[in-house]
Amino acid sequence: MTDVLQVEHLSISFGGLKALDDLSFTVGDSEIFGLIGPNGAGKTTVFNCITQFYRPDAGAVWFAPGADRLARAGHHGTDKVDLVGVPVHRVIKHGLVRTFQNVEIIPELSLIDNVLIGGHIDFKASMLAQMFRLPSSRREEAALREKARGALAFLSIDHLADEPAGGQPYGVRKRLEMARTLMAEPRLIILDEPAAGLNESETEGLAETIRRVRDEYGCSILLVEHDMGLVMNVCDRICAISFGKFLAEGTPTQIQRDPKVHEAYLGERDDV
Amino acid sequence: MELLQPLLRSLETGSVYALAALGIILVWRTSRVMHFAQGSMGMFSGTAVAFVFDRTGAPLWASVLVGAVVAILLGFAVDFAVIRRLRRATAVGKEIVTLGLIMVFLGLAPIVFGTDPLLLPKAIPTGDLTLGNANLSYNGLLNILLGVVIAAVLFVVLQKTKIGLAIRATASNESTARLMGIPTKTVTLLAWATAGVLGMLAAVMIAPTTTVTPTFMNTVQVTALFACVLGGFQTFYGPVLGAYLIAIASNFLKLSVSSVWGDQILYLLILVFLLVRPNGLVGKTYLKKV
Amino acid sequence: MSNASAMAVRVARHPHVRFLVFGAVLMTLPALASSGIMMTSTLSTLGFTLIYAIVAMGLNLLLGYSGLISLGTAGFMGLGAYLAAYVQDDLGLGFWVAVLAALIVPTFIGLLVGVVSLRVRSIYLAIATLTISEILLKTFEQAEWFTRGTAGKQSSYPVVLGIQTDRSSMFFIIVVALVLVMMLTHNIVHGQLGRALHAMRSSEVAAQAMGVNVLTYKLFAFAVATMYAGLAGALYLFFLKSSYPSTWNLFLSLNVVAMVVVGGLRSIYGTVAGAFVIFAVPELILKELPVIGDTPGLPYIFSGVLIVVVIMFFPQGLRGLTDLLRGLVTRRPSAAASEQAPEEVAAR
Repeated sequence: MTDVLQVEHLSISFGGLKALDDLSFTVGDSEIFGLIGPNGAGKTTVFNCITQFYRPDAGAVWFAPGADRLARAGHHGTDKVDLVGVPVHRVIKHGLVRTFQNVEIIPELSLIDNVLIGGHIDFKASMLAQMFRLPSSRREEAALREKARGALAFLSIDHLADEPAGGQPYGVRKRLEMARTLMAEPRLIILDEPAAGLNESETEGLAETIRRVRDEYGCSILLVEHDMGLVMNVCDRICAISFGKFLAEGTPTQIQRDPKVHEAYLGERDDV
Repeated sequence: MELLQPLLRSLETGSVYALAALGIILVWRTSRVMHFAQGSMGMFSGTAVAFVFDRTGAPLWASVLVGAVVAILLGFAVDFAVIRRLRRATAVGKEIVTLGLIMVFLGLAPIVFGTDPLLLPKAIPTGDLTLGNANLSYNGLLNILLGVVIAAVLFVVLQKTKIGLAIRATASNESTARLMGIPTKTVTLLAWATAGVLGMLAAVMIAPTTTVTPTFMNTVQVTALFACVLGGFQTFYGPVLGAYLIAIASNFLKLSVSSVWGDQILYLLILVFLLVRPNGLVGKTYLKKV
Repeated sequence: MSNASAMAVRVARHPHVRFLVFGAVLMTLPALASSGIMMTSTLSTLGFTLIYAIVAMGLNLLLGYSGLISLGTAGFMGLGAYLAAYVQDDLGLGFWVAVLAALIVPTFIGLLVGVVSLRVRSIYLAIATLTISEILLKTFEQAEWFTRGTAGKQSSYPVVLGIQTDRSSMFFIIVVALVLVMMLTHNIVHGQLGRALHAMRSSEVAAQAMGVNVLTYKLFAFAVATMYAGLAGALYLFFLKSSYPSTWNLFLSLNVVAMVVVGGLRSIYGTVAGAFVIFAVPELILKELPVIGDTPGLPYIFSGVLIVVVIMFFPQGLRGLTDLLRGLVTRRPSAAASEQAPEEVAAR
């Protein structure tokens, strides 16, 4: 199995405090990979270092999304790139897209318009063509609108396509954010606490959705999650970290049995 | 070129800018509002000083006291009636409000004080000090001392007193400070009132060089904003440093490059300087939390 | 048959068609003036109102969508006015070259200022544009070869498409320009450009993760705002046939901010209404009031208080008011009123 993402010796500190310390892990092709750890372990920091919101002090983030996506991002003649130093807004072109802990959708826009933002990099018409609604721009808009409708349909919320996103229940907004990630033809989707705020049956549906996305879109998924039920249920492999350091890696069963993980979670027993 | 004379002039105007800039930074640090109306509020209370002085024949110091009361009341009123109620508005919303306040005070001044231009004399009318080849009027010396001493007193208050600690805590993190039991509302009220008095003093200091009209503080406002940009918004002393630097650079540019365009060239230079040091002279870079 | 009528309904509902109808209604105003129903001075005031609506439309794009304040509006508008006069009257190059110059030069200067200030922090744009406006104002006073200084630059009604214009036909041209600006703005905000701006306003972080280059889009919004200001400046010059430096001061820029805020952020018709409230109401109504009509500074207080009150209590501006009324009539909570909590909207 080839690796889509190789995080190597990642370190970053904030004002002398080491938030990540020599952390390494890999995510395989079509793998659902979980990143767990007690509060403050640095999980979100890992995400921010991968997506280049933070620039790590040391280490590399190798990404191998395949030749076509690398070409889309402007890399030719190579099969993997180090994302460190890539401008934040260019990361998505590589086929890496993320969701946010606190669901960053645009309340004033309709669902389908929100999804279209996920397809931003596919809008090739020049600003002038868009301002004057030239035929090229109209065709592009129509085609991408169709694609967006498909993404909404995949998550069974296409009947709400033209409703404003702001008034929707939390579950719908979460699915909307997921639909938006699909527009970018991702090779890796990073989900930041996708189950937060969902009830039990919604969480079950989420597990199902994550698997379907993986199977039908052929991408890998990296998720940070507090809901251990979901993590153990859906992940192929899990990496546990604590205070920014690597703790253990393995299948859900291995992780559950790992004494170091138990120790780290002591006092947060509810989560395990 | 004679250096001492322009330097002394610069310190004099620098003090005016420094006081206005201190007001802006106090408000920025405690209320997170870009105080575009600092100059206009200073103009209003400064005009009050000139009005009392001119119409009642009161001595200057008494007129300034009246102006200080006006400035404090205005500061209280603006914070209490407007800014505090904007807690949930965004930063841009608050800035727009201070822009609106500019117009309110600009419109109020002629209604309250009439449309005749007023004059305000120097605090010390005559007398010069000779330093080598350079002259410094006693009034100029007073202005320099006022700027330096007031800035110094404010720094001591900020660093050594309980209220200073409260202000710094509020500046560092308003909501945490509030949770720690710091009366942040009193702190912002004080900040607005202090900013008002500083603006009034700046107005009284600059007034003798010009006529007291609704727009006589415009240059001070722009320069004070630039002092904050140059000095950085993260410290209290940065803008003061920026104010004196701008005054000095402005004077020398006017003498050596262009008497008409000196200030404009300086502003452009400062904008270009931002490309090199985005957070100003003494600004720290900080990480945006995602 | 039913197909054709369905088609007709669709055409009539198209926003661009509505803008055209709006423009057609405005075009009847000069006739009212020439037949004596309306005073000619009122027509002038309304013409200037429409010119300000064009500027405000640009600032609305900037302020409403990007949350950026420009205090350089007056400077860029003045630059457009003087360029138009210089190109038409001094260089003799005619109306179209004059308008083109008024569009391009301010936009170029605006972009330079934007590139420098926006890299640092959004609020620096306000301070940088404030400075540029001061520099431009000083230029207008000093560069006499270009502006005739404080004596004022005199111009004349232009010849457009071979026709010598007058006050009425200039009014038509202003209406045409406004309708074009409304259409263009509509295209921008309802396409991917607008969605990207929305995303940026909602969360810069999320927008970046979706591939939106935040700096590019801020510059785009600022460039459009500057371009509209340049255009409005040229129209102002041709309508008034003169320009004085004192016109282009900070308070004009603040008035344009007031038009946007009062009219309602991100609303096209609201912006026109805002221009009417801030410019035409003091001119046509307040000045005529007994006792307080002569009060000095009244228009300033009017604008200033409206800004403060609208931001504090009616963050939706006039647009919110119409939505509220519509909601009362149809007994259904209006879209804008129900979706957005006020604190979310206040000039994000």
